[in-house]
Amino acid sequence: MATVKINGKEITVEDGTLILDAARQAGFEIPTFCYQARLSRLGSCRMCIIEIGGQKKLQPSCVTPVMHGMEVFTENETVKSARASMLEFLLANHPLDCPTCDKGGECELQDFVFKSGPRRSPFSESKRRFHDKDKILSPVIIKNHNRCIHCERCVRICDEVVGRTALGSIGRGAKIMETSFMDSTLDCDHCGNCIEVCPVGSWMSLPYRYKARTWDLKEIDTVCPYCATGCQFTIGARNNEIVRVKSKITTGINKETLCARGRFGYNFIQSEKRLKKPLLKKNGKLVESSWDEAISFIKQRFGAGKKTAGIASARHTNEELFVFQKLIRDVFKTNNIDLDSRFANKWVTSSAIEVLNLAAGGISIFDALKAEVIFVIGSAISNENPITDYLIRQTAVDRRKTLILAHPRRFKLNSSANISLRYKPGTEGEVIKGITDFIEKGVFHGNVVGDISQVGEKFKNAKNITMFLGADILRLDNGTNVVAEIVALKGLLKKAGKNIIIQPLFDRCNQRGARAMGIHPLFLPGLKKVKENGMDCGEILDAAKKGEIDSLYILGEDIVSMYPDAKFAKDALSNIKFKVVQDTFLTETAKTADVVIPGASYAEKDGTFTNQEGRVQRLRKVISPVGNSKDDLDILCSIGGFAYKSAKEVFDDIKKEVLGYKDINFDALDGNGALVKGHGAENQGSRVKGQGASEIASASPRNDTSSNPYLDEYPFLLITGNHLFHSGRLSQNDDVLIKLLAEPFVEISEEDAKELGLTDKENVKVKSSEYEAVLKLRVVKGSQKGVAFMPENFDSVSVNQFYKKGQGIARVKIEKQV
Amino acid sequence: MTDFLKKILFIDLIKGLSLTLKYNLSKSFTIRYPDEEKWLPYQRFRGLHTLNKDAQGRELCVACELCAKACPTKCITVVPMEDNNGIGIADRIAKIYEINLVRCMFCGFCEDACPTTAIRMGREYELACFSLDCAKADKQRLLAPQEIPVEFEGGYVIKARLERTKEGIRVRPDLTKKKRWW
Amino acid sequence: MEPILLKNINTPDSHKVDVYLKNNGYQALASALKMQPDGVIQMVKDSGLRGRGGAGFSTGLKWSFIPKDPTIPKYLCCNADEGEPGTFKDRVIIEKDPHQLIEGMIITCYAIGAKTAYIYIRGEFAFGTKRLEQAIKEAYEKGYLGKNILGSNFDCDIHIHRGFGAYICGEETALLESIEGLRGRPRIKPPFPAIAGLYAKPTVINNVETLSCISHIVNKGPKWFSSIGPEKSPGPKLFGVSGHVNKPGMYELPMGTTAREIIYNHAGGIRNGKKLKAFIPGGVSAPMLVEKDLDTPMDFDSLAAKGTMLGSGGIIVMDETACIVKVAMRTMAFFRHESCGKCTPCREGIDWTYKVLHRLEKGEGKEGDVELLEKLCGNIFGRTFCPLGDGAVMALRGALKNFRDEFVEHVKNKGCIV
Repeated sequence: MATVKINGKEITVEDGTLILDAARQAGFEIPTFCYQARLSRLGSCRMCIIEIGGQKKLQPSCVTPVMHGMEVFTENETVKSARASMLEFLLANHPLDCPTCDKGGECELQDFVFKSGPRRSPFSESKRRFHDKDKILSPVIIKNHNRCIHCERCVRICDEVVGRTALGSIGRGAKIMETSFMDSTLDCDHCGNCIEVCPVGSWMSLPYRYKARTWDLKEIDTVCPYCATGCQFTIGARNNEIVRVKSKITTGINKETLCARGRFGYNFIQSEKRLKKPLLKKNGKLVESSWDEAISFIKQRFGAGKKTAGIASARHTNEELFVFQKLIRDVFKTNNIDLDSRFANKWVTSSAIEVLNLAAGGISIFDALKAEVIFVIGSAISNENPITDYLIRQTAVDRRKTLILAHPRRFKLNSSANISLRYKPGTEGEVIKGITDFIEKGVFHGNVVGDISQVGEKFKNAKNITMFLGADILRLDNGTNVVAEIVALKGLLKKAGKNIIIQPLFDRCNQRGARAMGIHPLFLPGLKKVKENGMDCGEILDAAKKGEIDSLYILGEDIVSMYPDAKFAKDALSNIKFKVVQDTFLTETAKTADVVIPGASYAEKDGTFTNQEGRVQRLRKVISPVGNSKDDLDILCSIGGFAYKSAKEVFDDIKKEVLGYKDINFDALDGNGALVKGHGAENQGSRVKGQGASEIASASPRNDTSSNPYLDEYPFLLITGNHLFHSGRLSQNDDVLIKLLAEPFVEISEEDAKELGLTDKENVKVKSSEYEAVLKLRVVKGSQKGVAFMPENFDSVSVNQFYKKGQGIARVKIEKQV
Repeated sequence: MTDFLKKILFIDLIKGLSLTLKYNLSKSFTIRYPDEEKWLPYQRFRGLHTLNKDAQGRELCVACELCAKACPTKCITVVPMEDNNGIGIADRIAKIYEINLVRCMFCGFCEDACPTTAIRMGREYELACFSLDCAKADKQRLLAPQEIPVEFEGGYVIKARLERTKEGIRVRPDLTKKKRWW
Repeated sequence: MEPILLKNINTPDSHKVDVYLKNNGYQALASALKMQPDGVIQMVKDSGLRGRGGAGFSTGLKWSFIPKDPTIPKYLCCNADEGEPGTFKDRVIIEKDPHQLIEGMIITCYAIGAKTAYIYIRGEFAFGTKRLEQAIKEAYEKGYLGKNILGSNFDCDIHIHRGFGAYICGEETALLESIEGLRGRPRIKPPFPAIAGLYAKPTVINNVETLSCISHIVNKGPKWFSSIGPEKSPGPKLFGVSGHVNKPGMYELPMGTTAREIIYNHAGGIRNGKKLKAFIPGGVSAPMLVEKDLDTPMDFDSLAAKGTMLGSGGIIVMDETACIVKVAMRTMAFFRHESCGKCTPCREGIDWTYKVLHRLEKGEGKEGDVELLEKLCGNIFGRTFCPLGDGAVMALRGALKNFRDEFVEHVKNKGCIV
């Protein structure tokens, strides 16, 4: 500990604390530009220079650590005049076009000049000017070089946090320019974090360009509706129209960062294609109707009992899902309720719930990342959960930590990984088993590319291990095997006295919450076991095919587009007499429905999401639902005849049913949310007794992927997932995200491409036994051989058409298009 | 005595009538508005706002919304947009520029706030009308040049004529014939 | 004085190893390898050798900061990025006597325990690079470099790294960044390179001239070395004289030789019999001196007392035809071009001062410009990230201090009076 005197005020801080932080702790404001807490220290803007007693030169406080007995002056005349002179220098070449600048009103330079700047500048020369027109560097990013003050926050955040290294400095002296490679169009993650960290209006958002001034905006903090990382952000709306999304340096696990989806994916809310009125099928055609008519129609026609079912999407709030399961279970009297989560069967999902210990309390990702070994399997994390990727990257910089990535594809985080493992999809269990075997016996088998023995060594030597388990395993028919292997590995490590944390990585914002709310054929809210098992998604469709389902309520899910066998799903749905689809867009599934109800988007409703850590966060209403659409909660309540008036009332009921949520105060949920607590729920009989994961795993035969009869004809295993710019089928309705990636592609490894004589960006024919399509090829160096990837986000080439029910992972061949 | 004499000789009456007679013959103070004359205010007058253009005919307004921010009655609505056709002096112009004249109290703060001298208080004051539509001044109306040029010195009574047309009633001034009021 | 560093340069083929060996080359290396590394460091410390790059820090002391732990890799970097206008001493050594440098580097590596050394050479020295490459090749062939040098079990490799035309890479931390393949610009100190330098490992960075002195110290002993020149900064020094003199060139003289002797006795006096107006004692970043300062001994301490510095020893002489405003403008133009753009005062401040000086020179000066320049100098000085900004300001301040009238005249007359 060091005691320092700052402006006469004594303060004791930890050794190595920066003077800047110490001064801020002591309550003195020091302006900074280049300093940003999570970035490397640069010390270049010289705004934070302060005087240290006994030193002649002023020192930058953002890079100078405190020393015991140091005397620091941050407010004396020398410092003040130095500060003013720095601002004078910065303003010398800064164009004073604040009236036209989008940053005006929230510009740090403006604020500091107002606070401590010179009121008058003797600068009478001509200003440096790079260009007259602002440069459009990407569909979402626009740059004005003239305004840049060269703090290089953009360069550092792109390099150190996002990991893209798309930006750098060109030129030197007064002609220095922070921009893309040779100032060309950016080929990057388009995450817009450069815009966020820019203290002036140099980096700007193109969709927000000239839409409003900051003081016009009604700004409301809410949660991102895409992946389950659960980033906090602030929506700015003007005249009931959302004009921007911004992250805040002070709140959420994401702090100032977001990904392209979160930051720019708000335009679907105001899309022309949104459903604005209820639709009823009359004479085989969907026609607009009134709310009363639609609701009474549903009440009248929807059956009850075992022949009914409900499928929900994990994009809904806890409250809606809770009411939905209440509707299905209490009103429609059935346990046939499931979540779409990649259409895994109920045994896989329930075993995953067990191994992930979802009934227990949540573990903060920051605690999870304290482990020495971080192992990620089953998720292309850079694409599925970009912000988790950022957090892991920043942790992995620490040389004492080991980051192990196991996935068939190579993605961005691999550049920060210490060990990368490649395997064929479906053999995740073998990878885990290999590690277990190596630790146990020192030998292992399996077709894994990469050094498992090294991974085993790292596991052996570590005290704390965190495993991130991706949602990919939920897709596997043999998912229970994988879970069983994980359970075995966990047991082994536990026995060795290691602390092991297993964290889920989900691709939908409220997957964890949905399970806790009882959206599962085997669990009631609070993951209490049901008396009579219901059917999962696959089983519901099987039953429908046989004509055993009469009524189906689909809440926000596009089964026709997402179920792995499009033809089968369509056939099965057509056998159901009465289908209700509640969604925001007229999806393929909605087109087959008898009643289509327009729901609300995330910005139009209140509620809570539970992210993958188990952090409950508030979703807040920003604008009223578009057109004649309604809040989903209102709709569900009026169908079910529930008396809930607001999300808070539902939450109070949730607190009674779900133990983990007991202590959470709905109104007090702030930017950091609240982690759910265990409250002994994990020991409350919520386990799947008798059919626990490990037992199933040992009983069910191992799927041998190599014995597939299609192996020769269709050499590629087709895997799918979200692209970095898209999420499910929702984002294709966003006209900004669609500009970033407009059409699907197929990605294969460099080795395969060489063998097939294919080159990057050429058109290829992708063919499975079910379907064929022409797609653009992307070649990635370092991915697993024999694996093809396609994003699942586009209606134009719907990936599920390649699949055939019962065959597991689809197999395709890729040919040159002639 | 003298009082009696004054009474019988109607002295007071004559005095009074002579004053009346004097004013009857002197210059009239009545402005025969709106039928024949109209008061032309000084340049400093704060009447209906105008949006100005520069010498090349480009709009000076950059839609910075500072006028809207400064307005104490919040009667100005500005929505900006991007334009690369050279309509304005910058690539930012106003998509919507609207002043609610019913709310406006003509304080001129907008004028003070404007960084490009785009918005100026003009000298038009005949703002009465029969429907609330005309109480909103949109961009087109504000950009249209006002009848009295800015350079034209004020403080006169000018010749004018009341016109009744289908569009409404207006007073057409004749700038060539002006006179001092006093 | 007998030339020491330059003793070989007039020998034909002096850059070749055979010629160097004939002149007792690589004997110092042989004798150094027989000593303990600490002994070599002590020897250099005793000699009182001070860095010739400009700062004048004690070389032996610098070496002694390197941790002794043999498991940590250490590096030696030779700073041959000689970019200061008016300086051309390293170039002579590199082109004419590269083995002298290489021998010095090997001894230094031995002393500090480094196995790898880099020569960061200025990109424009294409010919010098060729000569060095040739010399290193010869040294490898003769076994002075590589594995097990002269049977001493000591390994050493030297790599050449060419700069790309940035003056700032002469700053030691910027040089390290550049070798690492990053943008050449200074790093935050601390940590100092002696603790975490190249690739975050302990690193010594020495100038070419400094390293060239090493072999002579080892050969002739520290006593001999410290007997040359003044007590506090002993040794031979290369003075490069340029500008308005009759015989511009490189002169090797003991430290502490007066400017008058260098300019008038060695460099043949002012051109065309004109009068001396001003001279810059050590490269453009050193504040200029005037005629009355001619008797100042040219060593680190005496010049520092005069408010200027010895720097690299590049003396630039100006006669009465020189316009000081123009000189200041040219100097600032150089610094403006070479500023890396990292920190605000240097990037914006120097650009601003240049613009003001340019206006003055063009005859568009305004009332208050001189005061503005002084104010700008005050705002830049001591607040920049690295010494480049300070150097620029010192040069301008030197001109303003000695020739303020001339600046004022420029404002008043709207033009030059010279």
